[in-house]
Amino acid sequence: MPSSVCLRVFSQLSRDRTALAAAAPRGLLPALPASCFSTSAPRCANPAPKKKNMTAAPKRGARTLNVKKGGKGVAQDTSKRAAPGERKAMRKRIVLSNNNALEVRSLQDLDKPSALSERHEGQVRGIPEDVVDSLRAVEAFKPAQGWSLFRRPATLMRKQTMQLAQLLKDAETTDGEQRKTIRRVLVGERMSGKTTLLLQALAMAFLRDWVVINLPEAQDIVNAHTEYALLPDSHPVQYTQNTYTGNLLSQILKANERILDTMSVTTNPTLPLPLLPNATLKQLVQLGVSDTEASWPVFVALWQELTQPGRPPIMLAMDGLAHIMQDSEYLSAEAAPVHAHDLTLVRHFVDHLAGRKSLPNGGMVLAATSKSNAPASPALDFSVQVAEARQSRLENIPSWNRYKRVDERAMDVLKDVDVIKVGGLSKEEARAIIEYYAESGMLRAKVDEGFVTEKWSLAGMGNVGELERVTVRLRI
Amino acid sequence: MAHREFSRGVRRAVDSLGNLPRSQCERTIRIARRSFHGSASRCVSTTTVRSAEFTSDTQEKFTAAPPIDFGKASGGKGGGKRLLQTLRVVPASPSYFSAKPTFTDDYISLTALLRRVATLPIIPTSEAPKVAWKTIDQYRIMTNEPVKTQRFHKMLHVLRRLNCIHPTLMPPEVMQAMQRYKKDVQPGDIKPAPGVIDEWGRAKGVGRRKTSSAVAWLVEGEGEALINGKSLAQFFGRLHDRESAVWALKATHRLDKYNVFGLVTGGGVTGQAEALTLAVAKALLVHEPALKPALRRGESVTANLLPFHPPSRLVSFPSEPHVRRPCFICSCRLTRGGGRIVVTSPA
Repeated sequence: MPSSVCLRVFSQLSRDRTALAAAAPRGLLPALPASCFSTSAPRCANPAPKKKNMTAAPKRGARTLNVKKGGKGVAQDTSKRAAPGERKAMRKRIVLSNNNALEVRSLQDLDKPSALSERHEGQVRGIPEDVVDSLRAVEAFKPAQGWSLFRRPATLMRKQTMQLAQLLKDAETTDGEQRKTIRRVLVGERMSGKTTLLLQALAMAFLRDWVVINLPEAQDIVNAHTEYALLPDSHPVQYTQNTYTGNLLSQILKANERILDTMSVTTNPTLPLPLLPNATLKQLVQLGVSDTEASWPVFVALWQELTQPGRPPIMLAMDGLAHIMQDSEYLSAEAAPVHAHDLTLVRHFVDHLAGRKSLPNGGMVLAATSKSNAPASPALDFSVQVAEARQSRLENIPSWNRYKRVDERAMDVLKDVDVIKVGGLSKEEARAIIEYYAESGMLRAKVDEGFVTEKWSLAGMGNVGELERVTVRLRI
Repeated sequence: MAHREFSRGVRRAVDSLGNLPRSQCERTIRIARRSFHGSASRCVSTTTVRSAEFTSDTQEKFTAAPPIDFGKASGGKGGGKRLLQTLRVVPASPSYFSAKPTFTDDYISLTALLRRVATLPIIPTSEAPKVAWKTIDQYRIMTNEPVKTQRFHKMLHVLRRLNCIHPTLMPPEVMQAMQRYKKDVQPGDIKPAPGVIDEWGRAKGVGRRKTSSAVAWLVEGEGEALINGKSLAQFFGRLHDRESAVWALKATHRLDKYNVFGLVTGGGVTGQAEALTLAVAKALLVHEPALKPALRRGESVTANLLPFHPPSRLVSFPSEPHVRRPCFICSCRLTRGGGRIVVTSPA
């Protein structure tokens, strides 16, 4: 039966047997399954894995793209990754000295007796080291300022500085029984030196042994980056910021440590923490620093102490005023925006700025506006216009358009505040500061009348920030 | 006209063979006729009829030389044919065989004129009176002839040579002959009204660059500048633009002597700054006209409305390396020719 043999061999072929097995003697063949003629078994089997790299190999000498990580030809990035917060720390770093800059031999420091003297006008004066430490503690130096260009911090005592010095003098002198509270807002163009003027005021206050409380950036108070809590028993509802206040207290402590250590607590503050009898103000503040839950009561107690008779004048300052003249980023329990003035710290500042509360020992409430980082604040802009018109004794004082919406609370605060307009430097002042740049070795040019005038003009009529840009920074 | 002289010459030559009836054929312009037809037949065409362009009165009427009738030239009896066997008429100019001899006639008459006046004393080209010759396109339209560029330039060489004859000895016929090749408006024909300083001591200057236009008012002062009511630093973020805006004052060391009020519109920031350059320079020239050479050296009195300039090397200056001076041709930031511009005070 040759046909049966042929069929069997065929079926074996269909099962993908080797020719060797087919040629084996019949007795060695395994028992065939019933469906030996089926082709479904090989078809149902897993398909053979496809060969990788089926595309044609690249020609010899042709370059191919290799984007595999760690493959040949790819350089491994072995550089260290920045730790969390490291980049921000680098960005916000304050550098106050430049070892490559020359030391200016003729540079005189400000000192306590002559800090408010008029003879400094138009001169560059150095800031003493302890004051620099205090200013650094209250974050008066800002990263974008040009302190890192020079050997050590020094400032030009410009006309507006002298104006502030005169105001500080007024606040110190006893007039009758109560001392004056000076309230001012610094306004001016971008880069005209408003923040530096604020720093000069703080430096003079430190030199004159005032207690300095500086809110370095208003935006940080209202942008909801720190926790907030309802102030118990407050009416209207107010919110405290314990972490922020605790940090502020530590800044106050660091900057004013020497003065706070000399004064002891005289009132009997109600605090959530026990306070030693006859404690100094330093210990009081430390209480708030160590436990942020108690920071707001401690701040209130500190303020209470500082406004007792016989205490030094207070310098209360803030930069970036426009941020607190609108709703904050915080939300109330009803998910409605919290007005910035409902935050206790802001309210404290604003009450003093508006003149609702005064400083019985004299002092100054100083706020600087910003032109580079400021939300639109029609109330502030308008109030500044009104104040300028009032100060220049113009006949037609601008009036608010009743059909426009405005933040009434902000308008109310800024109703009768005075402004100090920070404009451009005069040519004499420009010459003084350019000479300082040249003596520091940061400007290599012959400083003469023509040079000073040219830079003064190119800096937009003596804008001090621009002057620094065109003389020192844009030097190639 | 030269070509008429030539055709007259040819005619005289033919007349010497015999008296001919002078038949003049007026050549009308073929293109004009064609376009007229086209406009009549194509009623849906949106193209405008361009006949006016070609039939403008700038084109000259042209009369070709009449054909020579040799049959009549000898006076009958088949003498003409006999004459032809012995005589070969060679035209004086090769243009006799061309369709349109105007250019060749012009060229020949000019060279003939130059030959005649070649011995007159000449002055250097730089001292010759400035003449704006017609461009080749204008000449082509005038003659209605496709003149080749090279030939036209040859003719211009002759014209320039004629222009170099000493002005006191310039023959009137040369003046008359050159008149045909001059543009209608010559340089220096249009003189702008001189600027005035008004009762408040202001001088006005207008400048343009790309799509910006600027008006600058200059008063005596101490170097203040307000552009559209803003200070220089507020208006121009880039230091380079600020320097451009007051470049005329800076280049002449007048920055502390004047105040600038600028009004500038249109275009981009750099265009506005460079428009101001020109405006301030012009206003400064009203105050001090003697500064013109200094401003020319400082390159701020030439208008440049073109946005593009051929790339050329940048010039850096040792004293202020970041400041690129404008180029020689205009107030752009590139410098042609690669020299350094040294601005010196005229005072």
